[in-house]
Amino acid sequence: MRRAAAILALLLLAVVPATAGALTVNEVAREVRCPTCNTPLDVSSSPAASDMKQYIAQRIDRGWDKQRIIDGLVAEFGEGVLATPSKSGFDLIAWLVPGLAVLAGIVAAGVLAWTWSRRRPASTAPAPPPPTAEEARRLDDELRRLR
Amino acid sequence: MVAQTEEGAVPARRGRWDRRRTIAAIAGGVVVAAVIALLVIGLVNRDVGTSIQDALDEGERPDAPAFTAPVLLAADGIGPVGSDVSLDDLKGRTVVLNFWASWCEPCEREAPILNEVARRYRSGDAPVVVLGLDVQDLSEKALAFARDFGISYASLREAGDAAYRDYQLTGLPETFVIDPDGRIALKVVGEVTDPAQLTTAIDQL
Repeated sequence: MRRAAAILALLLLAVVPATAGALTVNEVAREVRCPTCNTPLDVSSSPAASDMKQYIAQRIDRGWDKQRIIDGLVAEFGEGVLATPSKSGFDLIAWLVPGLAVLAGIVAAGVLAWTWSRRRPASTAPAPPPPTAEEARRLDDELRRLR
Repeated sequence: MVAQTEEGAVPARRGRWDRRRTIAAIAGGVVVAAVIALLVIGLVNRDVGTSIQDALDEGERPDAPAFTAPVLLAADGIGPVGSDVSLDDLKGRTVVLNFWASWCEPCEREAPILNEVARRYRSGDAPVVVLGLDVQDLSEKALAFARDFGISYASLREAGDAAYRDYQLTGLPETFVIDPDGRIALKVVGEVTDPAQLTTAIDQL
């Protein structure tokens, strides 16, 4: 029984990664941008970015969750610090427009395909007008010559 | 009889088809124009303006862009900490507006010079106030900076970057001398290395 429990514990340790659940600085940093260099914070190394990373590390140590840290950074630097626009208010447009554009493209493609599939084969050309008297005379002459 | 029916149907269908194509072309054109307009707006907004510097170069005094920000350090009648102060509130006084951040090394070097300028006018009759505007910074770091470098003048703190953009900054620090009517008389890009850089302009106002 004890042996079985030990094996089970070992298996659990193997399956669950050692870092699971632990928030890292980079996990938060990639959600915000460096205000002085306009790049994601996780790839920024300016003095301002270093201060922000230190801020994140200190909050992680205090047990803050990711959202609380991001909210803290927004309070310090404004909404512009977010790497992606918020999903409410005017910023919602940034999320909706690409989706709507793709939807519009799919609808347009469908309408075009439907229109083309309904297109009938080109109708026969209208009958030519009857030959004039002069044309009939010339035609008769030509035919007579051929004989 | 059959030929007549077909002849009548073909132009009608073709007319409908042409109308559809026209509508589709107009809709497509509108979409393309909208995308181009958005790109142009994006490029124009991204561009850092130079109108303030251009006006100063021509001997003009452009209007100082308005701003409102909370007080980080209270002094010289500007406060209390946390209250909102706007540039308009300071009309009638010459304002030495210094953009700074705690991570900016030149800001450390110019802090004693700004302190000296503030002290000089504090004791005089001229209504001159030195006002810091902390930007792109963490408030706890900014407060530590103020403590470490003995900042004696008032400072505001902006969380966004509106004032930074409106004053067309290209980096930190930058200092503006704003006359009592709210117009920019001088712009110092980079570190102030000598009090005279500011006092000469202030005394001429």
